[in-house]
Amino acid sequence: MRRWFRIAFPRNYLDRRSRAGFLFVLPALLFFGSVFILPLAQSVLYSFYKIAPGGAREFVGLRLYEKVLTDLSFWTAVGNTLQLLLFSVPTTVILALAVALGLNRISSLTWRNVWASMYFLPFATSLVAAALIWQWIYEPVYGFLNYALSFLGIPPQKWLQSLFQVRPAIAAVSVWVRIGFDTMIFLAALQSIPEEYYEAANIDGANAVQRLRYITLPLLNPQIIMVCILELIFNFKIFDQVYATTQGGPAGESQTIIMLLYDTAFKYFRFGDASVMAVFVFVTLMVVTLLQWRFFRKPVEY
Amino acid sequence: MPVILIAAIAAVTFPNASFAQQKKLVLWTHWDQNPDFNKWYADKGKEFAKKTGYEVEVVTIPYQGYDAKYLAAFMAKSSAPDIFMGMTHQWCGQYDFCDKMPADLAKVYDENLPKYMADIGKWKGVRYGIPIEHGNFQQMYINVDMFKKAGLNPDDPPKTFDKWLADMKKLTIADPKGGEPTQVGFAIRSKGAPVGITDKFLPFAHAWGARMLSPDLDKATGYANSPQMVAALTFFGDLVNKDKVASLAFGNPEDAFGQKRAAVIFRESWFFGWLKKNAPDVNFKVYALPCEKACPGAGALFPWTDLVYKNSPNKQVAWEFMKFISNAKDDMEHHQLQGILPVWTANLDTPYVKSRPDYQSTKDMLAQTVPPTYFHPKSNELATAFGDAVVGVLFGKGQPKPLLDEAAAKMDRILKD
Repeated sequence: MRRWFRIAFPRNYLDRRSRAGFLFVLPALLFFGSVFILPLAQSVLYSFYKIAPGGAREFVGLRLYEKVLTDLSFWTAVGNTLQLLLFSVPTTVILALAVALGLNRISSLTWRNVWASMYFLPFATSLVAAALIWQWIYEPVYGFLNYALSFLGIPPQKWLQSLFQVRPAIAAVSVWVRIGFDTMIFLAALQSIPEEYYEAANIDGANAVQRLRYITLPLLNPQIIMVCILELIFNFKIFDQVYATTQGGPAGESQTIIMLLYDTAFKYFRFGDASVMAVFVFVTLMVVTLLQWRFFRKPVEY
Repeated sequence: MPVILIAAIAAVTFPNASFAQQKKLVLWTHWDQNPDFNKWYADKGKEFAKKTGYEVEVVTIPYQGYDAKYLAAFMAKSSAPDIFMGMTHQWCGQYDFCDKMPADLAKVYDENLPKYMADIGKWKGVRYGIPIEHGNFQQMYINVDMFKKAGLNPDDPPKTFDKWLADMKKLTIADPKGGEPTQVGFAIRSKGAPVGITDKFLPFAHAWGARMLSPDLDKATGYANSPQMVAALTFFGDLVNKDKVASLAFGNPEDAFGQKRAAVIFRESWFFGWLKKNAPDVNFKVYALPCEKACPGAGALFPWTDLVYKNSPNKQVAWEFMKFISNAKDDMEHHQLQGILPVWTANLDTPYVKSRPDYQSTKDMLAQTVPPTYFHPKSNELATAFGDAVVGVLFGKGQPKPLLDEAAAKMDRILKD
């Protein structure tokens, strides 16, 4: 309390410094609080209430948790989300790393930037626009992909309208959108690895694979973990691409947890149930992120 | 900079000053396939403004996700429309967002609507909304040229589903390479929200003597999964998976019919206007739906109405506007503009209606036994649960019986919740 009083009414240079620091942080704090913390707290609160639009509430304790967590469609949506995640996260990270390694070997700065921009462009595209473009690419009768495959003698595929191909097809869109962003992170990290390490390894007779395994990958570990966490969060919360392309179809095969949350809240107006799902997403992501950070992060120094 | 500052201060200090915006009523619609119909409200609003000073601004909300936008606005109150298009049992029944229609206007509609429409726009006997579409039930649109080419007589449409299926087989042209057919008999709805797929399947269900919910709308098990429903869904799924007279690869069924890739579609009266505008070269005729054990009859899952938002500060003016357009002449002009059937009884035998290809078929459909209606406050969620089973069968995810059992159990949970 005394500390806050001294920030509000500074007496000396140190107090004024503290106040300046506090004022600099304040806008971000207000933004974060109003956009993230407050809605989160509200979601947690709402998950204990049955709410009717218009405001009428009834406290139901943990009943909504029991209802949602025993609902088959909820776990189907969780399963779909996890499958999408398994398709896209490793693919995105590995491809981005490969592209970054390739770009890092281009000696011309101009050409490196040109190639990097090309990979980055999809990330700058609106997700809905990208999804709609891919919807046409995947179109079974007139789509470009089937047309291109026909030259290889491959029969037309149903893609987004197939129970089995819809999730890999959506995952491919996610990979296409995200690869540029991850590449940029890896490229920046690669450029910060001192060249001397590689020179020393060369002198010791290390080949390219050994250099990658014993120098590059260990030094990229923090970035790899960070990218994995970001991709995990992005893919767990996937909504736009699915909403714009399949709306959860065919036959619910691409219904993700956020899609279900959206439908529950805004189509069926069951805000309490939707809040339970929101809390589930938050807790799951937080736990997985902490576990990833705890067990896979290996600070390396040479 | 000082000018902007002064203007900002003035706007805050004198919000009702004479330089404020033109007074207006805001009308929301999600009938984005009928732009001329929507624009008419704004045009009529200009006439209304001469009397009252209030114009009408029409905002078209995309159908996909419209309910979320409506709900957000109604809950926020400040950005909600004064008038909106919606289903009475949903917005006035499930939620209390509608203003009751003034008694004198309600009397006008009670006296001037066709009998089968009398309950559309009412919730628990009280009128809230104005029905906006006569012929809001599916009829059979056929492509005359494709019928002739297949050796079928377009003037002798199939009267039973057995005969209909035989015709669909003749109208389907398979791909010699084993891919998707190049032309199908029936344009089937398989994409989008399951609630829409339920709507397109229900005529089949009713023709097989099934119903989605009990007569009191309080039970699904025994109805949604009845043997009749299983038989109807088996027939429906076979259209795609066994008989192959419909394809899931054809996308939007309206487009497939308009592009002459499908010979038959089941749709409502607005589709006549849509075809005239978007596919004027399609030579089509309209007939009553075929029958099986029963005839599907004139039923609708989406009884659209115009409603007034109960928290609107302009609701009195909104009702004045509704009264202003509530007459046979405007009803005729409004609907004719978009090629939709008018709703007033006085207009049902006008030269325009008689000249339409669905004049006789509409009468035939109305002569059939009235099918079950499902105007339950949770109809969207119930129809979605049911639609999941229908779409599951279409995509070969399972057999009709277990999928319908699962749907019925889920619907019962929704009804109890």
